[in-house]
Amino acid sequence: MSLLAVNTVDRLDRPSAYYVGKNKRRRHEEEQRQHDPVDKLRNATTLYVGNLSFYTTEEQIHELFAKCGEIKRLVMGLDRFNKTPCGFCFVEYYTHQDALDCLKYVGGTKLDERIIRADLDPGFEEGRQYGRGKSGGQVRDEYREEYDPGRGGYGRAYDEQRQREEDEYGLGR
Amino acid sequence: MADYDRRPYDRPRGGGRKRRYRDDDDDDHRPQRRRYEEPLVVQVRRQLLTLAESAARRVEDDVQGIAKTVVDNYDDEELRETFTNISIDLVLEQPMKIPFVATTVLCAHDLKPELGTEVINKAGDALQKYIGSGSWREVKLLLRFLGVLQPAFEGEGIFPLLEELFSRAVDLQTASSEDLLGLELVKIILFTIPFVMLSPASGFDSQASALLEKTDVIASTPHPLVDLVNTFGPEDNQSPAGQSVISLLQTQLQGEASRGWELTCLPRPWKHLRDDETGEPRLLENVPKIAFPHVTVPNPVKNGARTLFPEVYLSVYADQEVDTVPSPSDIASSLLRDALVDTINLLSFNRVATAKFLIDVDCYFPPHIFVKRATPFDRMRELAPEDRAWKPEDVAVDAVFSQLFQLPAPEHKLVYYHSLLTECCKIAPAAIAPSLGRAIRFLYSSVETMDLELTYRFLDWFAHHLSNFGFTWKWSEWVDDLDLPIVHPKMAFIHGALDKEIRLSFAQRIKGTLPKAYQSLISEGKEKDTPEFKYLAEMTPYSKEGQEIMQLIRKKASDEEIQPIIVSIEEQAKDLGVEDPKVPSTDALVTSICFVGSKSLSHVLSCIERNKERLLFIGQESPRARCQIITSVMEYWTDQPGIAINIVDKLLNYTILSPLSVLEWALSESMEAGTILAKTHIFEIITATVGKVTNRMRQIVAARTQPTLYEPQLSVLDETLSRERSDMQALFKFIEDSIVSVAAGSNDEQMERGDGSGDLPEDAIIRQWGRRWLRVFRRKAAVEDSFITDALANATAVGTVAPPSAESDMPDAPADAGADGDLDVADA
Repeated sequence: MSLLAVNTVDRLDRPSAYYVGKNKRRRHEEEQRQHDPVDKLRNATTLYVGNLSFYTTEEQIHELFAKCGEIKRLVMGLDRFNKTPCGFCFVEYYTHQDALDCLKYVGGTKLDERIIRADLDPGFEEGRQYGRGKSGGQVRDEYREEYDPGRGGYGRAYDEQRQREEDEYGLGR
Repeated sequence: MADYDRRPYDRPRGGGRKRRYRDDDDDDHRPQRRRYEEPLVVQVRRQLLTLAESAARRVEDDVQGIAKTVVDNYDDEELRETFTNISIDLVLEQPMKIPFVATTVLCAHDLKPELGTEVINKAGDALQKYIGSGSWREVKLLLRFLGVLQPAFEGEGIFPLLEELFSRAVDLQTASSEDLLGLELVKIILFTIPFVMLSPASGFDSQASALLEKTDVIASTPHPLVDLVNTFGPEDNQSPAGQSVISLLQTQLQGEASRGWELTCLPRPWKHLRDDETGEPRLLENVPKIAFPHVTVPNPVKNGARTLFPEVYLSVYADQEVDTVPSPSDIASSLLRDALVDTINLLSFNRVATAKFLIDVDCYFPPHIFVKRATPFDRMRELAPEDRAWKPEDVAVDAVFSQLFQLPAPEHKLVYYHSLLTECCKIAPAAIAPSLGRAIRFLYSSVETMDLELTYRFLDWFAHHLSNFGFTWKWSEWVDDLDLPIVHPKMAFIHGALDKEIRLSFAQRIKGTLPKAYQSLISEGKEKDTPEFKYLAEMTPYSKEGQEIMQLIRKKASDEEIQPIIVSIEEQAKDLGVEDPKVPSTDALVTSICFVGSKSLSHVLSCIERNKERLLFIGQESPRARCQIITSVMEYWTDQPGIAINIVDKLLNYTILSPLSVLEWALSESMEAGTILAKTHIFEIITATVGKVTNRMRQIVAARTQPTLYEPQLSVLDETLSRERSDMQALFKFIEDSIVSVAAGSNDEQMERGDGSGDLPEDAIIRQWGRRWLRVFRRKAAVEDSFITDALANATAVGTVAPPSAESDMPDAPADAGADGDLDVADA
């Protein structure tokens, strides 16, 4: 392990641009807020894990993520309405170091033959296990125009629209 | 037309390439983009950081360019500081660049000695700091840097410091034959010498030879612990491994000295420097001389955070018909390996960048020592002897494997080295994949002889690696081994690897990747999501009660509702003359929990949670029944041992099981004449259980050795430590006692097998399993024991009372350190 305070190449164990960006915008709205959102991750032991297949099981996730340390808790992301896995989860470790190692060594590698994404997370709270998309899944699965067999085919909103257009086309004739 | 032309420049551009946020709104009309002039400091910073990285540029030009820019702008303080700091950062983080950075500094020193002096003094300060803290790798790298700078020093330059380090090593070695710190110092001296001799300075041959003569005794004496960390067991010692890094290096250096320090494998960037104006070759031998920075070596020296162990040299490409990596007799094997291993371990925070460095290894060494990247192995065979060179991919990958197979443990988590190999394969699949293939073949051919822990690491890596690349492997080449007995190490490897693949994927998928001959290895049971509930069959004893319990657990019934059925089983069992009636009732309960919770890990955990009190009580009541808990879990999930292992692990956290009960279950109840030792998942479960205990032990040691700990907490923690330490020793003793008889072939069950002669073909294999298990757990016991002893050697003595000032400063200091002396195992 390098002992330098500033490294000569970038580090992979930093919060993602998504996390920093999301919180920056929010901070803009609540200008009163004193705390740096990145500060909340100082001792974070939880990771948000994304781009999972809907069919990936807890056991598979466990098998891979335990390579970075003992897992304290695993919360599967569920569709808000049917309570079926919808392609993300939270993995909580006992130590901050294990979570950082997971970012470095597991984030961006494959699980169930998909490249998964890992991001440091301030901690799981009840309610966050559900998709926030209109139809119950994750927002990204609403409008996706590519077909992804591991995540329910086309985006749901996109698929509906496609279906509608097809039906209307038939009617018009 | 002119208007039209100008239009794009009047309006803000960006065309939606970037999203704009409200932050941008206050300044709606953004100024047009001007041609961006990179500030000098940014430019130098970038040039320095990427020094030697591009094969398309002459590194000599960059070396001279950077030196000249900084010298020309010597008054720019920021530039000067950037140059100094980044030079030293590169030395400490990207060791393969040291000769290039040092050349840049020499050039600068030649033009402006003040600048060179600044860098050298800064390096001296850093060296002093790291010698003080015992960060020996950093010391080694800084000495290497200063070694190349030897021509800039008056007198003997670096040698007096090396001599002083050597005298510390002698003191340490004289004090103890088990000393490792002294060995580490000698290793550092040996790794510095070639760079001093490489440097543009000349006339130091006698100093180098004198030093080498002195180090010989220490470097060549085998350390008592070398056998413990050897890749291969003593009985199966093979040529590719076994020699310690330090004795190898000593021999190589002596050879190199006798050949006048050719050192053909190291770069000499200064050889091709030319004067800007005259075009004459520029020699850096006669640069202005300054004093070597003053460094005090504490007496005695101390060791830093990393525990030291002897290192052995391993190459997975040692046994090939054509050499693709330097042989251990060549000094290049040590020098290339050392630079690569440091790069790998220092840059663990960015595997992508590290993988890139590994792939680009040929940029940092003289071009003639490597063949072109991605040269196929078959073509290397055809090369004329004078064109022989090494395969850069093999050299790089070999270094990663040396870490993955480092005993007792590598610097980082094993998964780091997995991810690094994955990344290399992603960046250059055509070059790396065939190298990995040959490594896998070597390792597979060694699974009978390699240390058992390493065989397990190989298996774990293999399955994980394949999971990143579509599970494609040429299984057909091992087809003949499917006829071997089931306890054969190769069969154990194949079974274990397939099981791990399935855990990361699913049975059907893996079955689809296998040739026909392997299909039968994926049993029907493995393809089932929910294993059958045995009590559904009326043939099963207590089937009615088993089903009732299952229904009650499914309904989340209360303990009182379950109790009568448990009693009913136990009464029937008593009537049938069952020795411990709690055994069948526990079986029914635990099997029901497994079945009801079979949907997922969270399901089974909540089932366990609801029945926790009852399960805890079982363990306290009857050790046999506690053993049955494990048997039931393992039997229910017999086709998917990964899930069973997970459940047992959680039961340990709940303290429903004790570590010893897991060992008893495996090594006495289920020993099956030693055949259980051939099962990889049993090795996994035992290693995990022992790991839990040793981790907890290390946490207690950490709590006990905090510098700010005083009485009365000190005594409390000390007692906890001694208690847990003897528990741990008892655990290791149990393993030893259980396996030693298998290794000797005197296990009762073993004796009863066959005709009792112990001559069945499998008997020899089983005895070998026993010996391999013993080696692993004896090593673990020794490592943990020496860890505790070392840590306690420097700990505050029991009875120490807080000094008055400290007490008033931080009255609560020891309290938050687990002062009650008890750590929750679940949190451990």
